[in-house]
Amino acid sequence: MSDNRDEKLETLLRSRRLEPASADLAQRIILKARQMPQTTIPSFWQSVRDLFGEFHLPKPAYVLASALVLGIVIGLSAPQETTLAADDSGGVSIQGFLSADETLL
Amino acid sequence: MAAGWADKEDNELLALIQDGNGQAFAVLVERHTDRFYRLAYRYLQNRAAAEDVVQDAFLKLWENPALWQPQRHSKFTTWFYRIVVNLCLDQHKKKKPEVLDNDALVADDRAPTDELMMREQEQQMVEKEIAALPERQRTALNLCFDEGLTNQEAAEVMGVNLKALQSLIMRAKTTLKERLKA
Repeated sequence: MSDNRDEKLETLLRSRRLEPASADLAQRIILKARQMPQTTIPSFWQSVRDLFGEFHLPKPAYVLASALVLGIVIGLSAPQETTLAADDSGGVSIQGFLSADETLL
Repeated sequence: MAAGWADKEDNELLALIQDGNGQAFAVLVERHTDRFYRLAYRYLQNRAAAEDVVQDAFLKLWENPALWQPQRHSKFTTWFYRIVVNLCLDQHKKKKPEVLDNDALVADDRAPTDELMMREQEQQMVEKEIAALPERQRTALNLCFDEGLTNQEAAEVMGVNLKALQSLIMRAKTTLKERLKA
């Protein structure tokens, strides 16, 4: 008896009615997709490459060499006594330098 | 459609879609639209709503193909069933399902007989009772009986183990038998 009911239920479940989809459903989806842009999530390395791309130098070797030469020139042209001596006995003292400035005013 | 395209596996098509290939998307849509529509219709009992859900699901995939991760998802259909089920449940929460519309059912040329009318009534009752089942039981029934998935596949779609799925089906059938007997 129970088996009969099981069978009947299964038959009912397998023969449920279905309203068919529109014949052009797939085409509609395809057409709609054509009008939509894809958004892609770039990978980590792609993001890193893009970031470096922002700072892209047309001729990296020349730029590096120029930067090096410029650094040397600036380094050589800087005054010799740029550091303040630990004791104020020798070289230029800050106090003296400031008071010299004030005398001008 | 070129034979080459039709022979391609879903995974190959998905890889091409991820490269922006519209032809691959078209092949995938044509191949699977009916199957996913069937499932959506079972939930929503409304053609337009079911078509919208299928369309939304495919367009989501097209817009953001990176959603598909072959290393994480075993099979396209299993993964996509889950997407369709989730969209249906969202839709279901928003709107109550419509009562079956007789005009909407498949036309039958034969003269209505008592037997046909009885079967019709039986079908409507089954639909009503299935709609009243708890969500997970309904999903299990739809996947196993309508889609013809194996219990293992249905369990994967639902993200439960095999025993849990069998238990859901068992409970659903028991409830239906009780209610239909009454």
